[in-house]
Amino acid sequence: MDKFTVTINGHTIEAKPGQSVLQTALDNGIHIPHYCFHPGLPVAGNCRMCLVEIEGVPKLQIACGTTVRDGMVVWSNNDRVRQAVRHVLEFLLINHPVDCPVCDQAGECGLQDYYMLVGRYDSRFAENKVVKHKKATPIGRWVMLDQERCILCSRCVRFTREITKTNEMAIFNRGDHAEIDVFPGGELRNRYSANIVDICPVGALTCRDFRFRCRVWYLKQAPSICPGCARGCNIAIHFNPERPHHAGGRRVLRFKPRPNPHVNAFWLCDDGRYSYPFIDDHRLRFAALREEGGVRQLYLKDALDRLADWLRASRSGRTAYLLSADSSNEELFAARKLLRDALGVRCLLPDTGLRTGDADDFLICEDKHPNTRGARILFGLGENDPVAPDRLEAGLGAELPELLLVNRADLPSPLRDKLLAAGTRLVFLGTNDNATAAAAHLVVPLVVFAEQAGTFTNFEGRVQKFELAVPPLGDAAPEWSVHQGLAERLGIDLAFPGPAAIFRQLTAEVDAFRGLSHESLTPHGAMIRHE
Amino acid sequence: MAKPKLNLLERLYLPEILRGLLITTRHHFANLTVHILHRVGLAKGKRGAVTFQYPEDPRPVARRLRARHRLMKRPDGSTRCVACMMCETICPAHCIYIVADEHPDPRIEKRPKSFDIDLGICVMCGYCVEACPEDAIRMDTYITETSSFTREGMLLTLDDLMNHHNEDNFPKHTSS
Amino acid sequence: MSEIAHALIVTGYILSVVLTLAALLTWMERKQSALMQDRIGANRASILGFRAIGLFHIIADSLKMFLKEDFVPARGVRLFHTLAPFISAFCALAIFACIPFGPSLPLGDTTVNLWIFDSDISLLYVLALGSLGIYGIFFAGWSSHNKFAYLGAMRGAAQMLSYEIALGISLIGLIMVYGSLSLNDIVHYQGRQLFGFLPAWGVFLQPLACLIFLTAGIAESKRNPFDMPEGESEIIGYFTEYSSMKFGLFFLADFIEVVVVAALVTVLFFGGWQVPYLQADGFQLPGGTHWELAPLAVGLIQVGAFCAKLFFFCWLQLTIRWTLPRFRYDQLMRLGWQFLLPLSIANILVTGIILVCR
Repeated sequence: MDKFTVTINGHTIEAKPGQSVLQTALDNGIHIPHYCFHPGLPVAGNCRMCLVEIEGVPKLQIACGTTVRDGMVVWSNNDRVRQAVRHVLEFLLINHPVDCPVCDQAGECGLQDYYMLVGRYDSRFAENKVVKHKKATPIGRWVMLDQERCILCSRCVRFTREITKTNEMAIFNRGDHAEIDVFPGGELRNRYSANIVDICPVGALTCRDFRFRCRVWYLKQAPSICPGCARGCNIAIHFNPERPHHAGGRRVLRFKPRPNPHVNAFWLCDDGRYSYPFIDDHRLRFAALREEGGVRQLYLKDALDRLADWLRASRSGRTAYLLSADSSNEELFAARKLLRDALGVRCLLPDTGLRTGDADDFLICEDKHPNTRGARILFGLGENDPVAPDRLEAGLGAELPELLLVNRADLPSPLRDKLLAAGTRLVFLGTNDNATAAAAHLVVPLVVFAEQAGTFTNFEGRVQKFELAVPPLGDAAPEWSVHQGLAERLGIDLAFPGPAAIFRQLTAEVDAFRGLSHESLTPHGAMIRHE
Repeated sequence: MAKPKLNLLERLYLPEILRGLLITTRHHFANLTVHILHRVGLAKGKRGAVTFQYPEDPRPVARRLRARHRLMKRPDGSTRCVACMMCETICPAHCIYIVADEHPDPRIEKRPKSFDIDLGICVMCGYCVEACPEDAIRMDTYITETSSFTREGMLLTLDDLMNHHNEDNFPKHTSS
Repeated sequence: MSEIAHALIVTGYILSVVLTLAALLTWMERKQSALMQDRIGANRASILGFRAIGLFHIIADSLKMFLKEDFVPARGVRLFHTLAPFISAFCALAIFACIPFGPSLPLGDTTVNLWIFDSDISLLYVLALGSLGIYGIFFAGWSSHNKFAYLGAMRGAAQMLSYEIALGISLIGLIMVYGSLSLNDIVHYQGRQLFGFLPAWGVFLQPLACLIFLTAGIAESKRNPFDMPEGESEIIGYFTEYSSMKFGLFFLADFIEVVVVAALVTVLFFGGWQVPYLQADGFQLPGGTHWELAPLAVGLIQVGAFCAKLFFFCWLQLTIRWTLPRFRYDQLMRLGWQFLLPLSIANILVTGIILVCR
């Protein structure tokens, strides 16, 4: 038999043999309170919150540790279960300091949630609480430990044991005095350490980076894709839209992993997670024109007028474009239509993000750009691409170009100096300030991925969708609208109503993407057709 | 709501108008007489108006009046606020701006680096006082004159909220 | 004395009485409402610490009006926007030309007539100018390019048209009795006595007309309980877009209209400058007692009587304004068309019947 039928709270549900009762209920939208159970970790069964009544079994059973049987009848919402769970919660909270006002977990805390769901009792504990050793001690680069708040669910211990296999953490002492900690003298040394902050159901493990930055209920979320490497881990961007006085005015305050079984399961590496500050820091907000006597700020439309004039004036074959693997598929496609197809501009992909040897066997990739695969496909790049920095000059052709458009990348300074000395007009299209932007004759501000919707193609060819989180800063525009503005000025017929329409056009014109649609990309993305 | 039934005289309106005119006229001349008597130094015990001549003759305020805010102090003089942002969250006018910081004492953990209230936006609802879990903010200063010539002048900083010239007048009740 | 000099002197006298009274009314309105409501009222404006029970507020107000920016809405019509307050103020002021402020005063060998002109159509002139006042309001609302101003002007025009009719018709009965349209004749007529003891004032001859005229007159001057066109406290009206002295003129015109209504009620219904039992040669009481007075003294008493009556009716209007709540607009229209208009027509019929049967 490959399918069981079980009844939970009166709902008849199909279940896979070998699955736990709790997983079956969660998969079918029935919530049973739980702390120690995590779908990405082995079952421990020590928190006792998921007690359910199973008909035919005299005592209450834990739903996470009980596998389904055919014809099983389970109740999680009757009075007996509710009362038992309430008492479990009361025990878990006995030594909890209830310092919610200063706790960063408040607002997304399992104790708060389940207290409101099944607790709602008045404390009966008159004795003194057992006070643990550590109050707010860092146990790694990113993680803060507060033993008082811990309910000993052991998720963090199981994570370091089973997922990273680094075994930094354990539960020490016994009974009332049991506490989690790193081994003496040690600290968290794995590259996925901040995941234990996500899986900690209470405020025992909190993020040092996010510490006291903002209360979580001020944050809004948008589904997105991590731009940190070619893996394309699914993330939620947490941003603070209404209260700019927090976190020094940064709008995006953290990335959190979003489960995707095909890519990242439940996890996210620390490098990607803490790559978010570039969304708000050192951003290019307005177009700038370098003239005799200094740099002048100008409106985007005037900058595009200027750039269109330069494109028109430049002789064919003497214009080059350095594209970026940080651009979305839509942006790359717009650049392809305008620059490569309509204007015949020489397009190269410089390699600025490859960190050889940085990859591991879990999530982290060597290529630190989210869309190298997309750029390769859309521009038909061959074996020699991406072009390593030392071969960039040769890649630009025998003669240096008259007009060079650089997308986001920071050119090696010898090449930059040589170009400027040779009289090349340098145009920088980018999101963040760098040395090339400072040296460029014209700067066109672009939006980052969080400020627009679009798709990335990860290294294995999975196309995944990200959505707009925060509005553009200043005059910054999506790259596709810059290309469209140039097309209008140059009299080229290119109409891009928006990223969704570009994606439709792209799937119609590019073989590898044929058959994809925004619908087929939800929720876990879809693979391209292999060439 | 049921409308009261009017009899014929009332519906005619004129007699009722006359009645109203008589009432207001009576007040007019009675008050006028009292004022004139005051001018010549008579009838000091009678008031001709309920008006308080405000800046010179401030009106007594109710004991539970919600006035300008203050932040309470710990025995060592530091603020009792732990920057939990309950007040900022509940504030219907969005006039409280708190930036949190690490407290040197790990047992307290959190404190406000800055705590600003924009009185130009505040609606004096008192929700912040209700929401505070630490009894750190109160509105019992009885300071009602808070005007300023600039918008910046309406912004109360942490320092303004903790130090007051009339601290002796504040209610002395201790926190529970 | 040449006629022009005479006319200038009398015009100066009348204007000074009316304008002083109107300015004083701005202060009176505040002080009186304060007293009626157990308050103190305006008392802050002071010169060298001397407050003069708030009288300096008149000066302070006018100074403020003069110093404020003269604002015209960007898409408004500047010409009409500027013209409107002048029309309002002019129409209100011009009515006083034919109102007798007193009898002919014998001064030495000349006589001074305390009216600027007297003609057989004075009453029609008064009604005509009263109606023209609508233009001021409507120009103001229309030229402001503002919905609220426009709606206020619409309300004002509708209200003034509606009450104009009752106002005019209520006077027909009076004209039938007096037999003249000249205000001077009307005042002289009221010097007679009814049944030998009752002064033959309009209010005794035509009590209903008096009530209708007073009501419609207050409605014409757009004051509470008929202040729908302005609704200064909330709905805002036709002068929403007015500032500076243009607003000041509207404001002044408002109070001049109060004086106009007071003057007309005095002249038409309360004997004008007539004092009961005071004849040209002195008091002649009904019992036959006679108390002789010099002609000049008689004249001065009569001038004083007119001013006193004028002041009393101004006071009465202020009292009404601070006593009654505003009508709803449908109530206002119903009162005008369904009560005042039929009543005033019935008044003509009854007057006619009595006149015929007498």
